[in-house]
Amino acid sequence: MSERAGEETLTEPAGSTIRRRFWDALDERLGLKGLQYPIPEHANKLAYSLGGLTLIAFVLMVTTGIYLTQYYNPDPTVAHESVRRIITSVSFGKFVRGFHYWGAMAMIVLIGLHLLRVFVSGSFKRPREANWIFGVILAGITATLFFTGTVLKWDQESLEALEHNIEIGKLLGRFGFWFSPSFGGISFLTRLYVVHIAVLPFLFTLVIAVHLLLVKRHGMAPSPFRRGPEPEPTRPFTKHLAELGALALMLIGILTILAVLAPPPHGPAPIEGIEITKPPWPMLWVYPIEDWVGVAGILWATLAIFLALFLVPFVDRTPERSPRKRLPMMIAAGVVVATIITLIIYAAVQPVASHIGMG
Amino acid sequence: MTRRHHPLGRRVALAVMVAVGSLAGLASPAMAHEGEESVPAITDVQEAIAILAEHPGSFPVAEVAEHAMDKVGDALESNDTRGVLLDLVQQAKDALDGGRNDDALTLLERSIGACPGAPVIEPENAPRTPPPLSSPCPSVAHLQALDRTPVGGAEEPVLLAVSAVLILAGLALARKSR
Repeated sequence: MSERAGEETLTEPAGSTIRRRFWDALDERLGLKGLQYPIPEHANKLAYSLGGLTLIAFVLMVTTGIYLTQYYNPDPTVAHESVRRIITSVSFGKFVRGFHYWGAMAMIVLIGLHLLRVFVSGSFKRPREANWIFGVILAGITATLFFTGTVLKWDQESLEALEHNIEIGKLLGRFGFWFSPSFGGISFLTRLYVVHIAVLPFLFTLVIAVHLLLVKRHGMAPSPFRRGPEPEPTRPFTKHLAELGALALMLIGILTILAVLAPPPHGPAPIEGIEITKPPWPMLWVYPIEDWVGVAGILWATLAIFLALFLVPFVDRTPERSPRKRLPMMIAAGVVVATIITLIIYAAVQPVASHIGMG
Repeated sequence: MTRRHHPLGRRVALAVMVAVGSLAGLASPAMAHEGEESVPAITDVQEAIAILAEHPGSFPVAEVAEHAMDKVGDALESNDTRGVLLDLVQQAKDALDGGRNDDALTLLERSIGACPGAPVIEPENAPRTPPPLSSPCPSVAHLQALDRTPVGGAEEPVLLAVSAVLILAGLALARKSR
């Protein structure tokens, strides 16, 4: 056996030997082979790659964001103008902004689907409850990144979003001090810019590190759809990374097409005292609620959704992972998702309404 | 003003919007007709501004003007005209009649206390009542909205080719690693 192995090595092409030596040298120093730990085969399905794709989308956002920060000016008197300059004068500015916009949309959709997949497959169950909590925190950070990004373009939609933010800050009483335009001595827009480009990406990186460490610590959750007593075949994690890389290429390709053919619009320069826009679709579900109960509805609806998400592992505590055997939870989640989709569609066809300063 | 050709898709989108609006109206006939005068004028004006300001170029100018004109007409007939300078709304109506949508937009914004052209520093101090006419806003400096128009130029085909290569490479790699 060892002789045959030796023969194979002798007959190996020179290029292959050099490549192996290179990887061996790299592994000796970086421990790359440690990434070849086995993971269950089902982890290579698309549904189980949504979390990885969300992380890739985040990296793309950071990359394109760095480009945009070279040209964006967070001073409220010139912010709108600087975005216009990015769109009309900066080399590849319109494309990069479009990529950033569609990447943000993709990140919202991907993290939402990832959360849904983890919920349906019961992957949050013991001992992975803490990782579910960190996942919900990541979803919250992503939503906040989306909101602050919406404000930065400083058009009419942005101003109205910020006005809502200030109103919600007032509802928080003394805890809402940070949302007061009078806090800090520099404009609120500039402070939100710092949050968008530094604070939130830092927090996201920190939490995702813990999230990934816990995935490694507990391993991939078993699939609830697998039948039969035989153990599930495994594959090295490096294979999963390679498949993720392939999906990343496709994601970049799709985002490029969208950025080229359907770049985001940019509204008129903001004008104070009017309320004529609706929020972008990921935030549109709160619009009818705001119609019915006022600005406070945004705060309470958002808190309710995140509280419900945090409570999931403490409510659905049985070891059963199959969705068929967790029907009440599935129905409850289905009702919530259907309600959100219905609210988005309802808001989309409703006329614009004023919510701030209208008594 | 140069006449623009608008793709069929935009006309269809406008038709769908009107159809959905009509259906919404049919669903609540009381709101659709009897209650029009009870809708506050400020709401009608804001909707007219939204129609004019948010998507110029998306639809034919005449259709946008017609849609906005309906709202302006409702504002002028409203029983609740608090917070609205009707004289400016009437001037906006005349501007729409004359095909001057940009002027109409400015007049409508001013009619409800907004000050087009003034830079926004901190939104908390936004005016909520119409300013006296003796203190006019700065000359109109605000920009129109930019719609979704493709990137264009030489970079468009290059980027599309790159995206096609990336997608094909991704598909090939995914197939190979299975």
